[in-house]
Amino acid sequence: MMDRLQESFQRLRSIFRRSQLDHELDEELAAHLEMAIEEDLQRGIPREEARRRALIRLGGVEQVRQQHWEARALPRIETFFQDFRYAARGILKSPGFTSAAVLTLALGIAVNATLFGMVSGFLLRPPSARDPERVVVISSVNPAGGRWSDVNLVSAPNYLAWRGGNHVFESMAAADEFRSASLNWQGQTQALHSAAVTAGYFSVLGVTPQLGRDFYGEEDRTGRNHVVILSHEVWEREFGADPSIVGRVIRLDREDSTVVGVMPANFHLMGLTPQVWTPLVLSTADQSAIAHKDRSLFVIARLKRGVTLAQARAELSTLARLSQQDFPDTEKGWGAAARTLPDFLVYRFGIRTALIVAMTVVGFVLLIACANVAGLLLARASSRWKELAIRMSLGASRLRVVRQLLTEGLTVALLGGSLGLMLAYWGIQVVRANIGSNEVIRRVQLSLDWNVLVFTTIVSLFSAVLCSLAPALAASRTDINSNLKDESRAASAGRSQGRLRTVLVTAEIAAALFLLIGTGLLLRGILLVEQQDLGFQAERLLTGAVALDHARYKGSGEQSLFVQTLLPRLRQIPGADAVAIVSDLPAAFSSRIGLRIKGQPELPASQLPRALDVVATTDYFRTAGIPLLRGRKFTDRDDTSSPRVVIVNEEFVRRYLKNQEPLGKQIRLDVRGGTADWSEIVGVVANIKTFSEADHFDPQVYESFLQRPVPSFFLILRTGADPNSLTSDLRKAVAQTDRELPLAELRSMSSVIENQKGSTDFFLRMLATFGILALGLAGIGIYGLIAYSVGQRTHEIAIRMALGAAAREIRMMVLRQGLKMAGVGAAIGLVLSLPLPKLFAAIFDDLHTGNLQIYLIVPAAIFLVAMLATYIPAHRASRIDPMMALHSN
Amino acid sequence: MAESKLDLLQGTLDLMVLQTLAAMGSLHGYGIARRIEQVSGDEVLLNQGTIYASLVRLQQRGWISAEWGTSSNNRKAKFYSITKKGRKHLADDAAYWHRLAGVMGRVLGTQGEGGNS
Repeated sequence: MMDRLQESFQRLRSIFRRSQLDHELDEELAAHLEMAIEEDLQRGIPREEARRRALIRLGGVEQVRQQHWEARALPRIETFFQDFRYAARGILKSPGFTSAAVLTLALGIAVNATLFGMVSGFLLRPPSARDPERVVVISSVNPAGGRWSDVNLVSAPNYLAWRGGNHVFESMAAADEFRSASLNWQGQTQALHSAAVTAGYFSVLGVTPQLGRDFYGEEDRTGRNHVVILSHEVWEREFGADPSIVGRVIRLDREDSTVVGVMPANFHLMGLTPQVWTPLVLSTADQSAIAHKDRSLFVIARLKRGVTLAQARAELSTLARLSQQDFPDTEKGWGAAARTLPDFLVYRFGIRTALIVAMTVVGFVLLIACANVAGLLLARASSRWKELAIRMSLGASRLRVVRQLLTEGLTVALLGGSLGLMLAYWGIQVVRANIGSNEVIRRVQLSLDWNVLVFTTIVSLFSAVLCSLAPALAASRTDINSNLKDESRAASAGRSQGRLRTVLVTAEIAAALFLLIGTGLLLRGILLVEQQDLGFQAERLLTGAVALDHARYKGSGEQSLFVQTLLPRLRQIPGADAVAIVSDLPAAFSSRIGLRIKGQPELPASQLPRALDVVATTDYFRTAGIPLLRGRKFTDRDDTSSPRVVIVNEEFVRRYLKNQEPLGKQIRLDVRGGTADWSEIVGVVANIKTFSEADHFDPQVYESFLQRPVPSFFLILRTGADPNSLTSDLRKAVAQTDRELPLAELRSMSSVIENQKGSTDFFLRMLATFGILALGLAGIGIYGLIAYSVGQRTHEIAIRMALGAAAREIRMMVLRQGLKMAGVGAAIGLVLSLPLPKLFAAIFDDLHTGNLQIYLIVPAAIFLVAMLATYIPAHRASRIDPMMALHSN
Repeated sequence: MAESKLDLLQGTLDLMVLQTLAAMGSLHGYGIARRIEQVSGDEVLLNQGTIYASLVRLQQRGWISAEWGTSSNNRKAKFYSITKKGRKHLADDAAYWHRLAGVMGRVLGTQGEGGNS
């Protein structure tokens, strides 16, 4: 044991005494040889012969040195440092090669690190919950199917029934997440995004307020419910982070509420974190049969100890079946699903696939960058074949040489990785600045975190291996003899190297083509969407949202009255050309509604034709700039005292009325809380886009506000001036009507549309940038490899020219070589990219990639780049002076 | 079989070096190599150079020591001699080899008889 320890110590020590030990060994060996020679001389052998014999018996000075060193030191570690030093020296000696290789890799690594920063921000950061994997989100499953049909919200009666009837959950809670609360504080009224939650909500998540307490069990009952928990943001912004806020009474929704707690700043699930939480009161009305239709609760539960997700799912499907039996009218076919919280968030926000696509793209960019660097290293290694051959013949093992080449790749990759990380730091800033307008996405923290650092290191190591694989492979096949004898380095670089180069170029072209077609398809998709007419005039429109509360506006009468008082005030605003009230802004999501058409066969509820349902006041179409095509608009006489009327859009007539005469037709809307009376179609208006980022129209029905008032709606105001200049007037008009009513989301229609562009737009632009980057890299790679191979063939070309080949023939020869590779690569890339349109259509909802010109444009572009990259070396080859070239060796 | 030389088993060279030094006292590398060749009757396949790896190994374990001196023909050379620790190790190892050689002999002997019958 002691001996081993001593030995290890000695070995370590010997690393630092290397030159002294080597020197001593040299002296010893010199003495050894001298003694051996003298012995032979005495036997009468001539000196030359004696020396030869002595060397043979010793077994080669270089080998003895190597063995000696292996025996005394720590060969692996020392070799590594030695190789590293050697690589560093080599790299410093050729700054051109180095900067090309390092920059290329840095670009490849930077885009990967930047994107992984997003992956880390979006997918790897766990939601704020204790043991998030044990928290499940319970959803209703819509039998109609379609996107996100299995993450429907849950109705109050189902929540109550499932909470009472299950044996798998420790606790269950519900939240109505999309409420608005008006905060009246210091004379100002503002709308806050609020969530009404049952008393156990925070304890199911396993989080506690930073200040104060959670809701008590009985606080979600009527009478006890005037309590509120503030978000950190509101606490800071409105109350100056006052620590004595807990216990204070604030004016919320026209009532006095006691602040009982403040949530910590880092509390967030995904999406918009509410600004205040109030208790969710479930009354007897919430248990009625009709309440089954109102699926508006986000339900979470914590699994009992030892219960698996599968068991919970089984129990939920049993419970859903029970609901179906009890309420066949509303529950028929509806199921229940459960997902763990992290899984749910990722799924619901649909980011995973987009990120996977992006990661694939940057992965390809990295592969192309690696191919380039591999090409560079190969070219560099082959100009040193002779050196390597000499090293091998002197006793360096093949493994040793391969290892040395790997170290060189590693050095380049580490330099590239460090530079790439710096670029990524900047890249993430750019992403953060541009990801933009979409609030939900902007809330996600993006930074160069540990995940990214680890990822970048792994990627760098991985690319080190990838880059040095080609030259290492070539070196391991090198034949020492032929390399040493090979007088003319120009003759040919060996067949296997030639093949490697061809493979590299072909692969690069294939990858670049695949990428460009992919990003081209995506870009075309968004351009198609963006160039499409919205169907109305979004410019010079000011919008604001109002939600009438139940406290003051109990029924439709009060709601109508408010609107009738407000509209004249709005019209008086100087600069307001037209004003209207509408339940949903155009091209910005509306709810869908089932309907029946008189004269058409009765269908079961799940198969009813569906249309977007919008409630609007008389001037809406004029204000928004939606042309009336037939019939009439709403008038002030279309109120509750007259027969119900509706206006439909062209798409409705086309799809549901089969282009028959629409005017006078009767339809019946399946509105929430019952079925309305028959309504007559009195007008047809032009289509507007369902959503600004969608590329199609949906059938749409407009109802008159006076006939069906709604409590929450938007004000829209058309002006000839800058819409933002009218915001204070608009505020004033609303405040005059009701001092305690907040006006929310006050902004121009253009910025609403801009906001909706959100992430996809930016995302796809980013992908396109990567595609172009890939093409550039591939072009440089092709140029480098062809130029190099022409350089290698200078000798051969010179001989051909000396034998009478014309410059044109030489040019053609080189061009043909390049174009053959481009052709094969392009063919492979084309085949790979054929399934892309289908794939994208499946991944990105509503993204239509249009016609397939891209399949012609991209290969043409690739050929152009390949042609250019080949032409320059070809031209240079044709101008070789044969006499110079043949003599220069 | 008789014509080809014996390949050295791992560790046997170290033992030979130790034994040589134990028998001959202080000796330089060339001397050790020659001595082993002579004693083994040129039966051992020895690149003389491998002695030096063995020497540095033994030295690092503290079984031999080295110092510079002058050879018989007046050349500067490194002289090695066995240490006390080395002698002890040699005794252990030699005993082990004797036992192993005995066992091998017996095993191969019986095998041979079995093969003939």
